[in-house]
Amino acid sequence: MSYINNIKKIFLVDDEYDLAMLFKLGLELEGFIVDMFVDPLAALSFFKNDYSSYDLALLDIKMPNLNGYELCNEMVKIHNKIKICFITAFDVQKEDLQTIPIDPNSILILHKPISIKFMIQRLKEQKDSIR
Amino acid sequence: MNEMGKEFIFGITRIISEPIKIKNLLIDLIQSATFEILLILPTSNAFLRKNRIGVMQILKKMTEDNPKLLARILTPTNNIVDKIIKTVLVNNYDGNGTKIDIKSIEETSEITINTVTIIVIDRKISLVIEKEDDAKEDFMEAIGSATYSSSRPTVLSYISIFQILWNESKLFEKLKTHDKMQKEFINIASHEMKTPVQAILGYIELFNEYPDTNNKIMDAIFRNAIRLQKLTQDILDVTKIESNTLILHKESFNLNEKIRSVLEDFNKGIQANSYNKNDHFVNIVYKTKLLEKDILIYADKIRVYQVISNLLNNAIKCMHKTKGGNITISTIENKKDNKVTVGIKDEGTGIDSEIMPNLFNKFVSKSENGMGLGLFISKSIIEAHGGNIWAENNLYNDERGSTFFFSLPLF
Repeated sequence: MSYINNIKKIFLVDDEYDLAMLFKLGLELEGFIVDMFVDPLAALSFFKNDYSSYDLALLDIKMPNLNGYELCNEMVKIHNKIKICFITAFDVQKEDLQTIPIDPNSILILHKPISIKFMIQRLKEQKDSIR
Repeated sequence: MNEMGKEFIFGITRIISEPIKIKNLLIDLIQSATFEILLILPTSNAFLRKNRIGVMQILKKMTEDNPKLLARILTPTNNIVDKIIKTVLVNNYDGNGTKIDIKSIEETSEITINTVTIIVIDRKISLVIEKEDDAKEDFMEAIGSATYSSSRPTVLSYISIFQILWNESKLFEKLKTHDKMQKEFINIASHEMKTPVQAILGYIELFNEYPDTNNKIMDAIFRNAIRLQKLTQDILDVTKIESNTLILHKESFNLNEKIRSVLEDFNKGIQANSYNKNDHFVNIVYKTKLLEKDILIYADKIRVYQVISNLLNNAIKCMHKTKGGNITISTIENKKDNKVTVGIKDEGTGIDSEIMPNLFNKFVSKSENGMGLGLFISKSIIEAHGGNIWAENNLYNDERGSTFFFSLPLF
């Protein structure tokens, strides 16, 4: 088990199956527990029923039916202690996160394509004190 | 010969200095028009001044009362001008299209006239009004003198000035639309390509660190490399189509044979997108209803393969949800048009009525793995051969799914 700044269990949502599997595999090999979803609606539904065990949500932005921002908003309503990390091929910057009801500075944004090593390093850098 | 007669034959050119006469002449001329009014305005303020003396209202009424009358206006615009155009001049009510065609003159244009108002009536009379002081709100205070002409060479010269500016405006509109489409295309393309690139780089990274997971990883890398290749090929094809440089290498061959060879590849899993989400394998049975005889066509073999392949892949994709079924490919000869029609029928989810009108446009029918270019490319290929492509939902006999058709000229 890996305790990296108290991140143990990760809630991963990406509609691209290969990428979701990639991140899941990479993170699990580093000792995280990862639950992966390719359907954002199914993910939200699951999250409603079992949210307290997750420390971090790793979310893609461009998804059908419910995009990453919308999903994030819903999830934060349910469990406001969860850390948020967006991983996206879009050129998203902090300014684009105005509509989300959390401090944008506490949200980590990772841009695809990203090396798994780098992703894990960035997750390690996330400090507890921000949220 | 009377004055009118002389004027008609020889034409006259006259300078008018009194503002009130100019204003009255302007309105009289507009009201005398029978088939055409050409109007160039130098500034947005000039547009607004004309509006205040009722010119726009008169134009609207004239075109409404006389269906043969066509007015074309070139004007610089700003928010207020736009508003007036939308509320006063644009005819939303009848379906016959607007008889007042307005194009804006771009401020950034090299060729521009910002010192005079030019109006040409029925290609035989011109009135050119000098703009003296653009800051004045009142028409009569803003203008200088005006030149009236019914002399053919003079009137023709103003018509050509109008035409040059009009064409430039059309080109500029086209350019802006094209630019916008290019940007959109590049944005979407680069976004789409990041996904397989991420997969390839990420999985290779894991491959080196953790040899135990190699098999799955190699599969994923291979899949995504193919996906990336397809993306780049599609992008190239679209670029060629858009720049009209798509070259067809035609030869005569048997269409039935080509169809059979595509199906053989699909059965072997070579062409099909055989990566299935969540390991649900889609059970597809390919059926054929091909004409007995050889069907000779003169076409680009590779491109025809590409079209058939694209349509089959789409059929498979839409049958993911319905967990498999039959795909039927048929050929029908149309002796009257000397064409052959190929039909590819699936038992999938059918085509959304919202998507139907735009089915063959770019980015519309986006699948999980594509940019939505396949049908656009297929359409371009088929039409380049002189054929047609279309689709319908299988509503007869309560069948589900849809059928895509394309026709090609027989050899």
